[in-house]
Amino acid sequence: MITAGIDMGMETVKVVILKDEKIVGRGKNLSGGAKRASAAEAALNDALREAGLAKADLSKIVATGKGKYDIPFADSCSTEPITAAKAAKFLCPEASTAVDVGADETVVATLGEDKPVKEMAINEKCAAGIGSFLKRMARRLEMTQEEISALPPKARTGPAVNDGCVVFAELDALSLLNRGVSPAEVASAVVDAAAIRACMTINDITNPARDCVVLFGGLTKNAAFVNALQSYAELDFVVPAEAEYAGALGAALVAADWGSEIFYTKKEN
Amino acid sequence: MAMKNGQIWETRPLEFWDKAKELRAKWEKSIESKEMVVGQGNTGNPGDWARAFPALTIIEDNPRGSTIAAKDMEFARVARLASEVRGWGREICGYHGVLWGTQFLGYQADGSPFPHRKLVVPIPCVCDSHTKRGIQCRDFGAVPQWQNDFTMYLGAYDAEREVEMENHKVYCQLRVLNDIERIFGQKFDDDKIVELLTTYSNVKEYRKEIFLLQTSVPAPLCAKDLYSFYTLGGLLKIDPAELEDFWKSVRDEIRWRVDNKIAAVGTERFRFMEAHPPQYSFLKYYRYLEQYGAVCIGSQYTNFTAAQLERKPDGRVDEREYPPRRDADEYKTREDLVRNSPDSDVRLPHHFKQDEYERPYALNEFADIYNCDGALFGTWRSGIGCTFTRKEQAMRLRKEGYSVMTYEGSQPGDPTDLDEKRFLEQLDCWMETNGLVKYPD
Repeated sequence: MITAGIDMGMETVKVVILKDEKIVGRGKNLSGGAKRASAAEAALNDALREAGLAKADLSKIVATGKGKYDIPFADSCSTEPITAAKAAKFLCPEASTAVDVGADETVVATLGEDKPVKEMAINEKCAAGIGSFLKRMARRLEMTQEEISALPPKARTGPAVNDGCVVFAELDALSLLNRGVSPAEVASAVVDAAAIRACMTINDITNPARDCVVLFGGLTKNAAFVNALQSYAELDFVVPAEAEYAGALGAALVAADWGSEIFYTKKEN
Repeated sequence: MAMKNGQIWETRPLEFWDKAKELRAKWEKSIESKEMVVGQGNTGNPGDWARAFPALTIIEDNPRGSTIAAKDMEFARVARLASEVRGWGREICGYHGVLWGTQFLGYQADGSPFPHRKLVVPIPCVCDSHTKRGIQCRDFGAVPQWQNDFTMYLGAYDAEREVEMENHKVYCQLRVLNDIERIFGQKFDDDKIVELLTTYSNVKEYRKEIFLLQTSVPAPLCAKDLYSFYTLGGLLKIDPAELEDFWKSVRDEIRWRVDNKIAAVGTERFRFMEAHPPQYSFLKYYRYLEQYGAVCIGSQYTNFTAAQLERKPDGRVDEREYPPRRDADEYKTREDLVRNSPDSDVRLPHHFKQDEYERPYALNEFADIYNCDGALFGTWRSGIGCTFTRKEQAMRLRKEGYSVMTYEGSQPGDPTDLDEKRFLEQLDCWMETNGLVKYPD
């Protein structure tokens, strides 16, 4: 069975082609703003090209992510906690919790024994856009993503910015710059605030499993953020190589109905 | 009967609604001739003074504010702005902001003059927004204010302290009643309250039974019904005999529905509870969730209006017990009336707002009694009494295995802070994680 999963995020769209439970193609594109459908189609074509397949070979396409309802050629949609849970179980069978930190949302899902998700938490409205914020601040601070990622851990007593709202955080960051704090220190403060905010979503879960927590999402590429989040959450994350594509992978797994024997998918009346 | 897509249970419209609307209209007609208007006071209970004072009626902030917001959102927005420019920011409950703004504007949505209050009697409340009712009214119109004071104590039960606390409440109320008589020259008709208390005792059993029946699967009533039901509280002021007949007919119909498995929502397969008033546009999300087969069976806010159920030590569910009231023929003094009034502020130690403060596992018990699968809790930036302890309650429920979603919503009566798209998408997540898929249209 060949399926495709499309993760239509706020910044990028990711596609995974799954054939007989193996990833055979991946595609990525900017999310296209108001032209999400064509952006997704381009990413899908890239993935199909890598897999050496045609669209007609696909049995089913499932979309997920913030823009999931904007992809008209998807056969169905699945929500982010479900796709995160499926991807976590697929990539790491012993996974007990999945955390997906993306451009817009932080999603935490604990995996159930009789259903894909036991508990889920999504960031509060004012904590949306952590990933986009970090990207924007890198531009403000005239630093590259790689430079931000390579930042050393921030000293807990160093300069800090608001960790409740990115608008306030940005204002704080500008104030720090005007007071002569170096861009690198300000960047550390910004990364730290983002990690604290993401950690709050993890803390919304009653019993965040501490044995095997899988971290997904575009922010996994930011090592400084991952380190800060690990420090605040007191967790050692498992970050799979496919972390950025996990949402798309989860959607492809949903399309393949993977894990039905593991997960409880329909509630009996 | 033809079953629609996804329908599991038979469903029918409630037959008592026409009678309910008729009674409501009758009550509204009956207060048209009353000239004096009192601000936020004790309402929604049979001890309501308005019945016993010939020229007094009550303008309550919450019902008025919610009615304005429901009927004319554009006017409500203008009213909230009028409230904001006088310093009442968005930390104030939307219901209050709307009504206070209408007062500041001086006219109502239909252009008629705002019925300014002649006196105010605020009550204390765990919600800071509620405690401010009356303050702005008094400052605006320089009208006299009495404080219907009562104390709260969250420590271990102490019989001696309870007596003193109750005495304090009772004497506060007596002073207000006597002062109104003295200052405004109105005679408080004690007999009317005796009559009403007697009726209340009679309808109480019907109301209790209705909410015991509401624990059934499928639920005979859903939150949409219950919020309409909520407005019936005012009907306690109508003719007592008619009132008793009405509640009996409601009980009989609900009993029949339960006996015959007639559901409020034909798709019911997931029951969830809420805690306090839902956010603006609640009908929309209730209907949205019904597409998944999820039904809101009520909340403390709705279900406590009639009866507070609890799990007894022997496992049975019954109403929480309070000190027995005296029979009507034993009422010798006005103090007897006030002391035996079923007003939650005087007698009930567990008014729905205080319940969660005093009993940390109150909502767990509610979820258990009403056979819930999950809970949906809104947190919003204002009306602290509506959202205080919400996250903690969610955690307590999750520990018991209930599926709980918390969300940031608007406040009641004010959609300003509502991101509807985001909220509906969160509901999709919640439903899918419970293994529920939307029924096709």
